[in-house]
Amino acid sequence: FRVSEDGEGRPRAGVRGRGQREALHLGALLVRHGYLYPLRDPRSLALRPDETPYRFQTPYFWASTVWPASELDYAIYLAKRSIQRRGALLDHEKEHYDQLQWKISHAWDLVVTQAREQLRAMKQRRRGDRLVITCQEQAYWLVNRPPPGVPNVLEQGPERGSCAASRLQTVSTARRGACHSPYLKFSSQRGPHDPILSGCLPSNPWVTDDDTYWAVNAPTAATPTRLRVERWGFSFQELLEDPVGRAHFMDFLEKEFSAENLSFWEACEQLRYGGQAQVPALVDAVYQQFLAPGAARWVNIDSRTMERTLAGLCRPHRYVLDDAQLHIYMLMKKDSYPRFLKSDMYKGLLTEATVPVETKRRVFPFMRKPRHCSPSPALPTAGPGGGGED
Amino acid sequence: MAREECKALLDALNRTTACYHHLVLTVGGSADSQNLREELQKTRQKAHELAVATGARLTGALRDKSLAAEERAEFERLWVAFSGCLDLLEADMQRALALGSAFPLNAPRRPLVRTGVAGAASAVAARALSARSLRHEAEHDFDVADLQELEREVLQVGEMIQDMEMKVNVPRWTVQARQAAGAELLSGASAGASSAGGMSVEERSGPCDPSKALAATLFSAVLLAAVALAVCVAKLS
Repeated sequence: FRVSEDGEGRPRAGVRGRGQREALHLGALLVRHGYLYPLRDPRSLALRPDETPYRFQTPYFWASTVWPASELDYAIYLAKRSIQRRGALLDHEKEHYDQLQWKISHAWDLVVTQAREQLRAMKQRRRGDRLVITCQEQAYWLVNRPPPGVPNVLEQGPERGSCAASRLQTVSTARRGACHSPYLKFSSQRGPHDPILSGCLPSNPWVTDDDTYWAVNAPTAATPTRLRVERWGFSFQELLEDPVGRAHFMDFLEKEFSAENLSFWEACEQLRYGGQAQVPALVDAVYQQFLAPGAARWVNIDSRTMERTLAGLCRPHRYVLDDAQLHIYMLMKKDSYPRFLKSDMYKGLLTEATVPVETKRRVFPFMRKPRHCSPSPALPTAGPGGGGED
Repeated sequence: MAREECKALLDALNRTTACYHHLVLTVGGSADSQNLREELQKTRQKAHELAVATGARLTGALRDKSLAAEERAEFERLWVAFSGCLDLLEADMQRALALGSAFPLNAPRRPLVRTGVAGAASAVAARALSARSLRHEAEHDFDVADLQELEREVLQVGEMIQDMEMKVNVPRWTVQARQAAGAELLSGASAGASSAGGMSVEERSGPCDPSKALAATLFSAVLLAAVALAVCVAKLS
């Protein structure tokens, strides 16, 4: 390895005193950022005030001109080194290399091909130039991926890494928009229904000690609140989960003469979540009522599903009616549910629904009724006469 | 066979990209010259042509619905390698643009950095263009116009990448690379044996090479014999 005379950038330490110290400091910074690299000991980027020769880094690798180094480039560099040294990488390089192999495994073909091609292209250069370029690359990666124990001079705080994510990992924004939209729809729809985001009427029972909120929203309230009726319109599942909503939907279906669908669905639910002992009896009842030819409330199921269900009925189990139930569910969802939402009945429900009035705050909040705190069992003084809550 | 064709095109593109990378490395250094800029331009144009051809073939193949699953997996693998290669090419072109405008050749004082690289790189460019030798015929100040053209081409390559992303949907995480871990060593050795590629720093460890050692012993034996003969002749006369 020969030092060519013209390539030396030896920092002159001729100035004395403070000037010399400043010059050394500046030189050390330049070396640490990789603008100069030492020739004798290329693995340690440090400036020594002796006759050690240095070389200038090529502008391609200057820290000021390049963007944050990408994983792909580093993988190619490591693959090249691995080929050159027949697999004998340093410990931390080996570790990085294995990690990269795992991280960008899809592009590994490219990494290996590029490494080989770059080495072949390098063969076309003169021998001296080849060594220079190898050293330049090594110095560049020493700065950009420092070995353990050496501080990273290019570190710029935590947000740098996130914005410098390489193109390799990003998915195109158009496709990302498509998978965001359900979330956006969900949150814009449910925003007014979230008690934390928009408060709840008439008042928060946990704060005001007033339980009208629970009374109004009880599962079987006589007149549902407006928010509750609105929620039935969000999805079919939402409607079926609410007992009041399901009852109204049943009324609607009875007017349409298709109430047996919902009854069948309810019977299937009962079978699914009921006790194990009643399963054969329930299956038999469902068959007699809904599926047998000429049954009183015969449901309309396509022949293939019907065949499969009837075959399963020989050995009844909890999930035997799942196919048929799903069929009926989709039927109601596609057919009756949109009509229910457009019907006068639903519109009437919406207008009739109550909007609870906000309870008036007390003028003097400190005058409020004292809470009934239960006496702690750990306190022995809580005797008959010791109720000192007031 | 479309697949073989795509593979050959992709190999050529890989070779050209690697050579281009090597040429860009020396821009702004002591080996920078009019010839280098011209070689850069030619290599870049070749790479662009290859990229357009490969992109068209691959897009056509992947949009074909009647492709068998195995064929499709193969094409997806090629596609991932191709898009990665384009990324590399685009990055290098952007760097060439930045460096080319930062180090103008025809400025009054040419501010080139003495990096120690001195030799011309026309052999690298010739390899990229797969030509025996290269003629330099550009006039004196073509590099200013070339920078504008380079800027346009960077944009074109960027658009091409975007366009391909929109046209073909290949989920990258499902693609399995063909090369397993450590594959570069095995085939690197074989490639080194066949085309003498892949070794460059090995020269330092030259003395351990058995063939070289054999040559050295032969040479020294001949030398010894010659010396002995010369001594004999001197004594006899």
